[in-house]
Amino acid sequence: MNELEKWKEKIESGNLSEDEEMILEEMGLSGSSRRKFLKQISAASLSVWASSYFTSDLFAQTMEDLPVNPNILQNEITVNLRVNNMVKPLTLDSRVTLLDALREKIALTGTKKGCDHGQCGACTVMIDGKRKLSCLTLAATCEDKEITTVEGLASEGKLHPMQQAFLKHDGFQCGYCTPGQICSSVALLEEAKNGEASYVTEDLRKTEKNLKLSEEEIRERMSGNICRCGAYNNIVQAFKEVHSGDDEMPTWEFATEEEMKEAGKA
Amino acid sequence: MNKSGVGQAIDRVEGHLKVTGKAKYASEFPVENKVYAQGINSTVAKGTITSIDTSEAEKIEGVLEIITYKNAEKLKNFEEDMVAIATDTIAPVLQSNKVHYYGEYVGLVVAETFEQAQHAARLVKFEYSEDRDPAIHFDKLRSKAYKPNEKSDYSRGDIEKGLAEADEVIDETYNTPIEHHHPMELHAVIASWDNGKVTAYASQQMVDDATIAISETFQIPKKDVRVVSAFVGGGFGSKLNVERHVTLAVMAAKMVGRPVQMTVTRTQMFTNTGLRQHNEQHMRIGAKKDGTLTALGHDTLSHTSANLEFQEACGMVSKMLYNVPNNKVTHRLIPMNIQTPFAMRAPGEATGSYALECAMDEMAYKLKMDPIEFRIKNDTQTDLSKDQPFSSRLLVECLRIGAKKFGWENRKMEPGTNQDGNWLIGYGVSAASRNAPYQETHSKVILDMEGDEVSATIQMDATDIGTGSYTIIAQTASEYLGIPVEQITVELGDSDFPVTPGSGGSWGAASYCNGARAACENAVSELKKKQNISEDDEVSIAELLKRNDLSKYVAEGSAEPSEEFENHSVFSFGANFSEVWVDKDTGMWKIKRMVNVGSAGKILNPKTAYGQIIGGLTMGAGMAIAEQTKVEPNFGNFITRSFADYHVPVNLDLANIDVIFLPEEDKIANKMGIKGIGELGITSVAASIGNAIFNATGKRMRDLPITPEKLIMAKAEV
Amino acid sequence: MRPFTYTNAAGQSEALEAVTQSSHYLGGGTNLIDLMKEDVERPDKLIDINNLKHKEITTNENGGLTLGAMLSNSETANHTEVRSKYPLLSMAMLSAATAQIRNMATNGGNLLQRTRCPYFFETSMPCNKREPGSGCGAKNGMNGVHAIFGYSDSCVATNPSDMCVALAAIGAQVEVQSTDGTSRMIDFTDFHRLPGEEPEKDTNLNPGELITAIHLPEPIFEDHYYYLKIRERSSYAFALVSAAAGLQIKNGMITKAGLALGGVAHKPWKLTKSEEFLAGKKPTNTNFEQAAELAMRDAKPLEHNEYKVEMGKKAIVRALTQATERKA
Repeated sequence: MNELEKWKEKIESGNLSEDEEMILEEMGLSGSSRRKFLKQISAASLSVWASSYFTSDLFAQTMEDLPVNPNILQNEITVNLRVNNMVKPLTLDSRVTLLDALREKIALTGTKKGCDHGQCGACTVMIDGKRKLSCLTLAATCEDKEITTVEGLASEGKLHPMQQAFLKHDGFQCGYCTPGQICSSVALLEEAKNGEASYVTEDLRKTEKNLKLSEEEIRERMSGNICRCGAYNNIVQAFKEVHSGDDEMPTWEFATEEEMKEAGKA
Repeated sequence: MNKSGVGQAIDRVEGHLKVTGKAKYASEFPVENKVYAQGINSTVAKGTITSIDTSEAEKIEGVLEIITYKNAEKLKNFEEDMVAIATDTIAPVLQSNKVHYYGEYVGLVVAETFEQAQHAARLVKFEYSEDRDPAIHFDKLRSKAYKPNEKSDYSRGDIEKGLAEADEVIDETYNTPIEHHHPMELHAVIASWDNGKVTAYASQQMVDDATIAISETFQIPKKDVRVVSAFVGGGFGSKLNVERHVTLAVMAAKMVGRPVQMTVTRTQMFTNTGLRQHNEQHMRIGAKKDGTLTALGHDTLSHTSANLEFQEACGMVSKMLYNVPNNKVTHRLIPMNIQTPFAMRAPGEATGSYALECAMDEMAYKLKMDPIEFRIKNDTQTDLSKDQPFSSRLLVECLRIGAKKFGWENRKMEPGTNQDGNWLIGYGVSAASRNAPYQETHSKVILDMEGDEVSATIQMDATDIGTGSYTIIAQTASEYLGIPVEQITVELGDSDFPVTPGSGGSWGAASYCNGARAACENAVSELKKKQNISEDDEVSIAELLKRNDLSKYVAEGSAEPSEEFENHSVFSFGANFSEVWVDKDTGMWKIKRMVNVGSAGKILNPKTAYGQIIGGLTMGAGMAIAEQTKVEPNFGNFITRSFADYHVPVNLDLANIDVIFLPEEDKIANKMGIKGIGELGITSVAASIGNAIFNATGKRMRDLPITPEKLIMAKAEV
Repeated sequence: MRPFTYTNAAGQSEALEAVTQSSHYLGGGTNLIDLMKEDVERPDKLIDINNLKHKEITTNENGGLTLGAMLSNSETANHTEVRSKYPLLSMAMLSAATAQIRNMATNGGNLLQRTRCPYFFETSMPCNKREPGSGCGAKNGMNGVHAIFGYSDSCVATNPSDMCVALAAIGAQVEVQSTDGTSRMIDFTDFHRLPGEEPEKDTNLNPGELITAIHLPEPIFEDHYYYLKIRERSSYAFALVSAAAGLQIKNGMITKAGLALGGVAHKPWKLTKSEEFLAGKKPTNTNFEQAAELAMRDAKPLEHNEYKVEMGKKAIVRALTQATERKA
């Protein structure tokens, strides 16, 4: 039985664990839409759409089902990787970065590899609440650390407000830098609360908590996450909405008939 | 009203997957038993491999295979040099001991883990007989330039006569550097073989062409190749064709008998996934005192690789944008020991418009004319290069409406006269045009009825590279089936689905949506026909299924360009306005705000269309700010080899952008009135910035990018 | 990356004991791991020092601060005492890299950042710093971002740190612990070195020495400070040229000036002559321009970095002007 069939059966029989329920909710699939969704998926498309939904790796408890690395490793290290409130004991080559451990060893592919050299921010995760780059962090150094990835932001079947805002303000296009942008934004909310400064902060000697960040401040502080699609303005809007409730929408408009007539005059 | 139909600003339908990290990109598919490959690159620009020592690498635990030209599978190769490459061109690799450029793949290591493959790849030792005089110096190779084909040159009237008749002449040269696409997702593939059939999860913009390229390269039937690109983490042209990492992974998977994952490194993204070449553009413009253009010459000198050909048509814009009787456009290429260039977002327009629109600004200044009025004066409703009408052309409206929105009347004509503290303030404008092609597209709709509710699945091999394909196709289906997008699933990026032209050249939206429309229309009309219901009767899709007593129905449809389309020049038009603040001393400058007006046919979803425009503006701003790849003069490699050297724009580089869409449905273009928008946004942006910098400082920055080091050394020309 | 053994040191003595000829301490890893991936750094052992204690900021008798070497750059730059006493240091540190990287990078590690010279990074090209004796590719190559002061025939690389430029302007002492159990103080001006014939050595640290703290002098530039960073884009880029300026102004006169340039030499370039020139003078544009002329007098640009001379002058004048105009 393939992965999808397993899921079909589970859903049909209503035999879902709490985590599984949660994830299906999170995908906007509740009640009858679940069945419908599964029905709609044709055989040919199984591996395309279905796998993006239904790979076992999305589910916490199945992390342990992942195959034990069969390889002989040089300089083996062991680390209990604590990710999104789950713990996975891993035996790894000492060279494995946190990024590769997440993506290649425990199939949490939400964290992206954009450059592998700390020059793009796509791999941003939160380690003990601080945004950091998983590509320059060795997995070996993560024992006892609390790691939060994009997969861990939604809770109880509800998207994190930042995820919601990115959706609403179209704070992405291809989506590849998005997990990093969102993790970075969530961490930045805390940094602003803590009164942390930036290079564009007017007076560094003035320290206060609960900062309301200006647009320039947001842009500077989000400059560690490159978006090649160029969704920066929408990312700023999304952040603003969660940070300060400023619900300004992107500034697009259609020219009016009158403007068209006026402009068309010889 | 259909709240999720065509034209509505709905959220992206695949957005959930992207904000939760669940969208699966090429290297993220859970393929079991996979191994990892790491490419090895040449370290000379030109030469012959004389020896290969794999002994150290072979000792590394986990190494399964080391592939070089010595043991590589024989693939279909090019039968002659200088073949012009296209999106479905074969991608042979490791077929000889010859090296054509620095960074060309010379080997591959396959190992159990990523770390082992990476390490072992460093240990394979190549020795070369190096050609001491590789073609790496553009400036020294001018005499080697050749004319690629008959279409490379164009002329109407008599350029020399036009220049002689002019009261004022601009004769200047503009340079745009080598640029790289650098989508955030590194090119990646997981390739496997099963009973002689290939499956490749690959980051590709054009799925069908990818299957063609792979099947031809490996000489197997096309039906035996399946390419899956469900999500593509940006492409910008670099993922149009099959690059050689795909071939390497497919070859390696066959050799080791296991699925092979290969991710191109960011440094390899410079040398192995295409580039936009350096263009030296010589512009000559003649005009009468009243602003009437008498002559326009645009001669481009650029380069291709030593063994394959690609030409970017920088002069295209100069042929059709203005009403000028005497026009001459030429393109020449120098074969160089540099990777073959390939299309990068708005190939030709993005670069050509820098030269043309800066030169137009220079002429306007010389004539003491407002640069907007100068352009309007030379507007044309006929494409003089083809002697046929434009399907629609609202460039004048774009310029005027934009000027009003931007507050152009506050611009000071004299450079250097608008100052605020240390900042010199400048306004710049530029016109934009981008070809809006449209191609044959097929799609399938699967209708499913449960209770009273119909749900639909649309399938096409189209891709969504961030452009919003999933969303606008869902909206199209919603529109033509009369059901909300919540009841529609769009499945893309699989070569098992009906063929589309893929994402590139700004044809995606028009082609995909008209294709999806056709399938939906066919479904409705077929269901009506079966029950003898008149085409004009409005019957819901649920009712139609019910009357047919069907719970499932599948229909196919296709769309293709009409004769009317062929008889017209179909372009999108736009205008860019930039306010730029230049530090009077340090060479630093910043964009304060931008206004873009676009006339791009029917806007399918203003939210995602806005994304395309600001994305284009951002990349266009990048051309002006810092993007450039530099060739090392002694070794021929790219000295800019990482994201720390090649500076793409960051969040703080951008500022407020107002986007205005003109209400337009170009029914000549296609039934839905759609024109492309993905490349319009980048076109001429850099020119509006360059012109604003001139307006701020009096410095004409004719060579991109406009870095602090250049600006601080430049002299004001007025 | 080459294989290495990983040791997580529980404390300082364990870290020092673990040192071998080709071991490396691992702090934030932002530079080291990158260079290991590039095959530039090839340690066979990493000694993780993140459990070491040096994570505090303490106040000295003279009111100066001592910064723990293992504190992150963001913790340091955002520390209330650092912001109020050494805003110049905070500003320089905050101009560097990104929030993510500053959260990882340690103070000790920042002092040991290696050059961004592309010839150093690309292992197929010659570089005496990476591979002594292989030659300097940049000297007659693409040297647009390279040094205009203090370089040698064997190396024209620059130091990339922003923090260090501010430290050079402010003055500091670096406390280091050696493997033999002794500790010593190094004056900041002696910490980094010029390339000379041994460009492989960035600093005057002895093998195995561990940075434990940075001692700052009595704060005097808290009212008048500015760190100007000129770069190719507005953020997340290394400086082409940067200038750190701190002024102590009393009754309209400069009593003390701290001035240094970044991006111009193999070490943060302290402008002692300009500092001395400014002391006792009025903070006027003319004086600033003279200080800038004085600073750049000995500049020897390479083929492609002539611009740095002009940029350096402008940067100095602007940083001094901004520092003066800053409302205390």
